[in-house]
Amino acid sequence: MKNDDLVICRCEEVTQADIKEVINQGVTTMNEVKRLTRAGMGLCQGKTCGRLVAGILSGETNQPLQELKPSTSRAPTRVLPLGTLSKTTQDDD
Amino acid sequence: MRIEDHPILGKTERRERITLKVDGAAVPAFEGEAIAAALIASGRRVFRYTAKRREPRGVFCALGRCTDCMMIVNGQPNVRTCVTPARDGMVIQTQVGRRGGEATHDLETENS
Repeated sequence: MKNDDLVICRCEEVTQADIKEVINQGVTTMNEVKRLTRAGMGLCQGKTCGRLVAGILSGETNQPLQELKPSTSRAPTRVLPLGTLSKTTQDDD
Repeated sequence: MRIEDHPILGKTERRERITLKVDGAAVPAFEGEAIAAALIASGRRVFRYTAKRREPRGVFCALGRCTDCMMIVNGQPNVRTCVTPARDGMVIQTQVGRRGGEATHDLETENS
């Protein structure tokens, strides 16, 4: 397939070739792709590339898209200054 | 350009005219509009350069999800300019890399 130099994860600058490479090494889950390539670990937390990564993984491994489990999401889901968190702690005291 | 008369949202309300300082230059804006809206209206397309490849990025999703339009606003890096309201006198800088503190001369060397 062409366009392997397409940037899939815009935050971490991960290309389609990077993702296919780890899949060729035997990766079959979204979490594994994320941890090996960092796709989805950048500032937007996979909001932009998640579906694209799922599509590539589904196509390359012949797994139906709806059966792929999404990668684990953890808070904070968007960029926060650390001060926001420390302020909350102070208010609770 | 700005959309002055939107087919669904109607006419744009005229708001107070303010001035942003963008990379040292004065850029006109309307109070409370998205910083990105003022920058696009002023003709700017590049808001930041990426950390690894030093590629230019600007407005992509324009609704606060993709983080492509992040700039340094009043000294704070990684501010989403498409959802951050413009205020008079805001100091805005092109962000290079993750924190924006990476020297711009690297950028010039790598692009040449």
